[in-house]
Amino acid sequence: MANTKRYWSGLDELRETEAFKTIQGQEFPEAQSVDEFLTDERLESTHTGRRDFLKFMGFGLTAATLAACETPVVKSIPYTNKPEEVTPGVANHYASTYYDGHDYVNVLVKTREGRPIFIKSNTETGYGRVNARVNASVISLYDSARLDGPQIAGEASDWATVDAAVSNVMQGEGRKVLLTNTVLSPSALRAIAQSGLEHIQYDAIDYGAFRAAAQADFGVNSFPSYRLEEAEAVVTIGADFLGSFADNVIYGERWAAMRKPESGKMSRVHAFETNMSLTGSNADQRTMVKPSEQGRVATALLAMVTGQGTAGQLSEEANKAVAAAAKDLKRAGSKGLVMAGANDLAMQQVVNAINAALGAVGTTVSYDEMTLFQGSSSALKQLTSDMKAGAVEVLIMADCNPAYDAPDAAAFAEALSTMKHTVSTSSVADETASLCKVIAPTHHWLESWGDLQIEADRIDLVQPTISPLHNTRPWGESLVRWSGANQDWYTFVRSTHASDYTSDAMYTNAAWNKAVHNGFVGVDVTPGQAVTFAGVGTSQAISELNGRKGGAVELALYQKTTMGAGQHAANPMLQETPDPLTKVTWDNYVTMAHADVDAMGLNGFIGQEKPASLVKVTVAGSSMELPVFPMPGQAPGTIGIALGYGRGGNGENIGKAAFQTGENGSFETDSDGKPTPVGKNVFPWTAQSGDFTDYAQYDVTVEATGETYPLACTQIQNTFMGRESIVKETDFSSYFAERDAKKGKASWNELITLAVHEDVTGDGEIDAQDGKPTSAFDLWHEHPVEEVGHRWGMTIDLTSCTGCSACVTACHIENNVPVVGKDEVRRHRDMHWMRIDRFFASDYSLERGEEEGTSVIASYRKMEDPSANPQTVHMPMMCQHCNHAPCETVCPVAATTHSNEGLNQMTYNRCIGTRYCANNCPYKVRRFNWFNYPGYKKFANFNPAQDSLMRMVLNPDVTVRSRGVMEKCSMCVQRIQSGKLDAKKAGTPVPDGSVVTACAEACPTHAISFGDLNDKSAGVRAISENNRAYHALEEIGVKPNIFYMTKVRNVEPNQA
Amino acid sequence: MQREAAIREPLILGDKSYKDITDDVVGPIQGDAPIGWKIMITISSIIAVYGVGCILYLLGTGIGVWGLNKTVGWAWDITNFVWWVGIGHAGTLISAVLLLFRQKWRMAINRSAEAMTIFAVIMAAIFPGIHMGRIWVSYWVLPLPNQFGSLWVNFNSPLLWDVFAISTYFSVSLVFWYIGLIPDFATIRDRMTKPFAKKVYGLLSFGWSGRAKHWNRFEEVSLVLAGIATPLVFSVHSIVSMDFATSVIPGWHTTIFPPYFVSGAVFSGFAMVQTLLLIMRKGMKLENYIHVKHVEYMNIVIIVTGSIVGVAYLTELFISWYSGVEYESYAFINRFSGPYSWAYWIMMTCNVISPQLFWFKKIRRSLVATFALSIVVNIGMWFERYVIIVTSIHRDYDPSSWGEFHPTNIDIGVFIGTLGIFFTLFLGFARFFPVLALNELKTILKSSGENYKKAQENN
Repeated sequence: MANTKRYWSGLDELRETEAFKTIQGQEFPEAQSVDEFLTDERLESTHTGRRDFLKFMGFGLTAATLAACETPVVKSIPYTNKPEEVTPGVANHYASTYYDGHDYVNVLVKTREGRPIFIKSNTETGYGRVNARVNASVISLYDSARLDGPQIAGEASDWATVDAAVSNVMQGEGRKVLLTNTVLSPSALRAIAQSGLEHIQYDAIDYGAFRAAAQADFGVNSFPSYRLEEAEAVVTIGADFLGSFADNVIYGERWAAMRKPESGKMSRVHAFETNMSLTGSNADQRTMVKPSEQGRVATALLAMVTGQGTAGQLSEEANKAVAAAAKDLKRAGSKGLVMAGANDLAMQQVVNAINAALGAVGTTVSYDEMTLFQGSSSALKQLTSDMKAGAVEVLIMADCNPAYDAPDAAAFAEALSTMKHTVSTSSVADETASLCKVIAPTHHWLESWGDLQIEADRIDLVQPTISPLHNTRPWGESLVRWSGANQDWYTFVRSTHASDYTSDAMYTNAAWNKAVHNGFVGVDVTPGQAVTFAGVGTSQAISELNGRKGGAVELALYQKTTMGAGQHAANPMLQETPDPLTKVTWDNYVTMAHADVDAMGLNGFIGQEKPASLVKVTVAGSSMELPVFPMPGQAPGTIGIALGYGRGGNGENIGKAAFQTGENGSFETDSDGKPTPVGKNVFPWTAQSGDFTDYAQYDVTVEATGETYPLACTQIQNTFMGRESIVKETDFSSYFAERDAKKGKASWNELITLAVHEDVTGDGEIDAQDGKPTSAFDLWHEHPVEEVGHRWGMTIDLTSCTGCSACVTACHIENNVPVVGKDEVRRHRDMHWMRIDRFFASDYSLERGEEEGTSVIASYRKMEDPSANPQTVHMPMMCQHCNHAPCETVCPVAATTHSNEGLNQMTYNRCIGTRYCANNCPYKVRRFNWFNYPGYKKFANFNPAQDSLMRMVLNPDVTVRSRGVMEKCSMCVQRIQSGKLDAKKAGTPVPDGSVVTACAEACPTHAISFGDLNDKSAGVRAISENNRAYHALEEIGVKPNIFYMTKVRNVEPNQA
Repeated sequence: MQREAAIREPLILGDKSYKDITDDVVGPIQGDAPIGWKIMITISSIIAVYGVGCILYLLGTGIGVWGLNKTVGWAWDITNFVWWVGIGHAGTLISAVLLLFRQKWRMAINRSAEAMTIFAVIMAAIFPGIHMGRIWVSYWVLPLPNQFGSLWVNFNSPLLWDVFAISTYFSVSLVFWYIGLIPDFATIRDRMTKPFAKKVYGLLSFGWSGRAKHWNRFEEVSLVLAGIATPLVFSVHSIVSMDFATSVIPGWHTTIFPPYFVSGAVFSGFAMVQTLLLIMRKGMKLENYIHVKHVEYMNIVIIVTGSIVGVAYLTELFISWYSGVEYESYAFINRFSGPYSWAYWIMMTCNVISPQLFWFKKIRRSLVATFALSIVVNIGMWFERYVIIVTSIHRDYDPSSWGEFHPTNIDIGVFIGTLGIFFTLFLGFARFFPVLALNELKTILKSSGENYKKAQENN
């Protein structure tokens, strides 16, 4: 049946009136224009109430306001095609090689989503271990001061113009010179050879005398390879091999190999030095000598070891120390090693004579054509005078900064600015580049291909880990193009290796790829002839050294472990990493013995509001004012000043972190409005002595100025106040006598017991001796961590920790630890999760006080003062992940809790910032976000999180903490999680060694081990059960998951 | 009617009738503000505004504007907190404990002492709030049901106990104080002629009519509240002391703290009462109600509590030596001989030596000496907290982290600012509130009034 029902909307529709028909198809019944509407008289009779008006106004205002709020747009560029090897959230590692003219290391670069964020040692047959500088250098890639393209006369230009201009002058007449630091790249050397430029090399830190001495005595042009892993007795005369001396990246690991007390054998290190160096602080016997006396130490040593020559005149104490050193050397024979730091031909020749006499050449020191440090400062000096005389037409400079670090930089800069054709390939407009007509900026090494060769038997490769951030070009390629060839650098590097090497060559793609993957390729070499000692110049060297005179005050220039020769001045993390010995950040200063400080009436204690005294140091007529740091172990009558500071002295834009900032975060400026650099540049005080640069000045004057200058120290108390439950140490013979003692029984690592009022021993009597170990006491319920699942833990061997601070920077970068600047560090607000406590020994103790009848109060006061030449302990300190953590119980909101894997976890989101946890931490390892470091103006000029480019270095796995929350070491929980995930995917238990914290990974001496204490096969468990293992502050019963290993010094037993 | 021995000093001097009492108390409220009051409230509110400015700057910028650091995580903030809480002790003690012990002399002072308590606790409560790194999430310390998952507060933490202790103490004190005010507000209401003021006081007096039933309930509630408040007097500062006592830090980890803190709090509270009342009695001409005898009574409390505090100091020192614990003994040696020994000796002088002067009757009954010493005691008690907090943590277990604390201008500004806010509030109280419990006072007029006592003697 058809539906006949019909619905209508009104009578009009039913009747189908005309009016209905006209409006039927219209949306609105009646069209009315706006004019009509507004002029409609009826409107006037309508009424809009006050309330309606306010409503409309309110709505309108709100709508307008909301419309004005624009959601911030964060632009990100997605991959159009995702690279095959990049998975978001998964890190890629690439093998590469770091070389900055001084440090040479095979590295693995960790990249995330195409950004390099972390550098670690390539431990598989890699050369060297990263130190703090190499580790932190990843930041320099993102330095916003890097040039974004070539420049001509300070104006932005393009490569075609630059190439045309430079090629043109290179084809012209006249002498054309290429000045570099030591070039170790075979490809670069090939490009230089092709270019026809005259190649002159110098090194920022000159080691020319070492090569010259090797040439004179052994007939080889090689830098010595010191094989500390073979050396049973080491004597170093001012060579800071654990800190900054020469090939330091490899010495630490080698030294540590001979510092394993468990092996029953330890090397003994005697140090004779002026400044307290890292090596001296780790030496078994340390003697303070002035720079002018160092040569006499060498001659005395030679005389005592061989009976040859005249022994230099020394103090009685030094003589005794030399005799002890000689005795050890003679006992060690060919396993003895003498090193000297002075860049002095006579010194090196005498040292060679001693090593040769010991039979050490070939065992502990060898000359196998190590390529480092080929530079010649005399060549640079000659070049400077040639430039001045107008004898050089074109000067191209690559990988060097002579206007800053040349021995006579001022003369060089002056000559440079008068020249017509000057080219720098520096990636920033540094001291040298800003004086050059053309800047052709080179890639950062993380962006570039390259090859390097440090020893004859291997070629190391550099591979890019990120596309070039700026319009830059490797300087090798620039050279190639300027000499007319049209080849890119990658092709050029590959072609270098296409034919040169016969075995395992890299001319096939497969072989090349393998080499790039490994980061190096071995090269077959025929073993060279054993060298023989000629000894021609020894006697002359002896008389030269013995005749050396010193003035009232001598100056020893040195390099800081953190700053080197100044290449990293713009690196905020390195500036903030405290010097391992002074614990000062963001400055260089004069180190002076306490006795001298007192004699001059200067401030002997640097604290938060106790600034250092400024002194005027005058060297050969030039003066500078520097603050004085009272340094235990500084030879009296000497001062030390670190090189590598005062970069950007003319306001060159080398990077924001290189300049001082004030309390409000803006740059400090001098009277001309130029920004004030961090520290003072003392390169002008290096002396040219013969063909070599000498880093000592034998007669300087120091005058008090009466002014003060604040220094920012992370640690102001120098001694450990006899608190032996924090630092345990012993000497090797005591250790050896009880090496088989059960854990907790040896006299040097006794378990701490607490007296209880009960009969513990079961002898029916209650007496005070019946103590119970602290583990027997429990206030809280035991966390079920023992033998349940994982229990992450760490061991730190104080015997092999050198204090080098590689772990500090590694932790800093891995965990996005904020950089807070000098003013905040001075206020004791450094944020380091991992710090290295440096304790100097004191002459005084409560026992001595009791013997001498001194009051306890006075004894404690005296215990605050370190000895004049103290023994030193470097103690890495981070969250101890206590199983009975005092911080956990006091947090009102349970923001810090214990994981069932033994970790003390910090939940930033939950933290309300009462800081009770930090107060209640016996180790004081918790760090509070006093400000919004990633946003507050005070930190704008150095905090990486505030720089749009440098922010790229932040680890995406770790939160950047905001203001008002507590933070601390997490044992790299992000690494633990990813290790567990990998194991889960593989369906296996977490293999030992697959999870490593950043600090343990960075430790060059393997002092730090990390792993699962519940894993019976784990290395860390075995170490924690060793009889040297102890918990710091065991008696307070917090049950840490971090174990320290008693420090064993190999001192003479009667000196212990 | 209750009779009192003639030998007892009268508590109300002069020839006072019930009406006189009402006039004396309500008169200043009805009249215009005296010029002295105007000057004082101007000064104190300027300081208060400056303090609020400092607090806002602190909240806007971060805790870093204070001088705290990685070693010293608490200093002036918690010092001020404990100091103010301590001051806030006297009021409830006077009104509750003395009520239970039927001490009539409390009636002249309890109202202002309680007001002082309320204001001091408000000042104290500022500090735990602003010392937090993230004050905007401070409500997380309350055990509120939430949608963050299973998140809950940590009942092990003494800071949480603090939250409960302070909030309970504050609310009970406030209620107690207000209950006492109701009949007095009614009196004011009845005498007010200005309609607005009459309306306000009418609202404040909750319809009090003065019926016997009302008085009966009033007495009962007061007694019940006194019963509740009395344990709180002891619990609050005991719990505050546990902020320190339950830690592992030498110098904090001390079982003596609860009684030591409570007596210290009463000590400082009474000193502050003296400071305030000696000014107020002069300014508001209340010499007949608050006179030497009252001051003397309070000074006796100060001697007793001050001596307990002194004994506690010495006990601490002895135990630190007797314990044989290296860290403990060093903490105390450092206290009296280290970098902050000046603070320790200020504390010792002000808290241990100065109250002993009150053994001399002349000093005890001298208003000038009392005023001076009351300020000395409060300085001493501020330093006590500073010494406990800063000297303990600035050198604790690990010498590598030993440090210093230096206050910044903001540290000082916030503290001075709370003094400004406190005095502003107190001056407001003195102007608009019945500063004496006038209706209660009337109950003792016939037993302890000077004129009635004399009349009795003559009979």
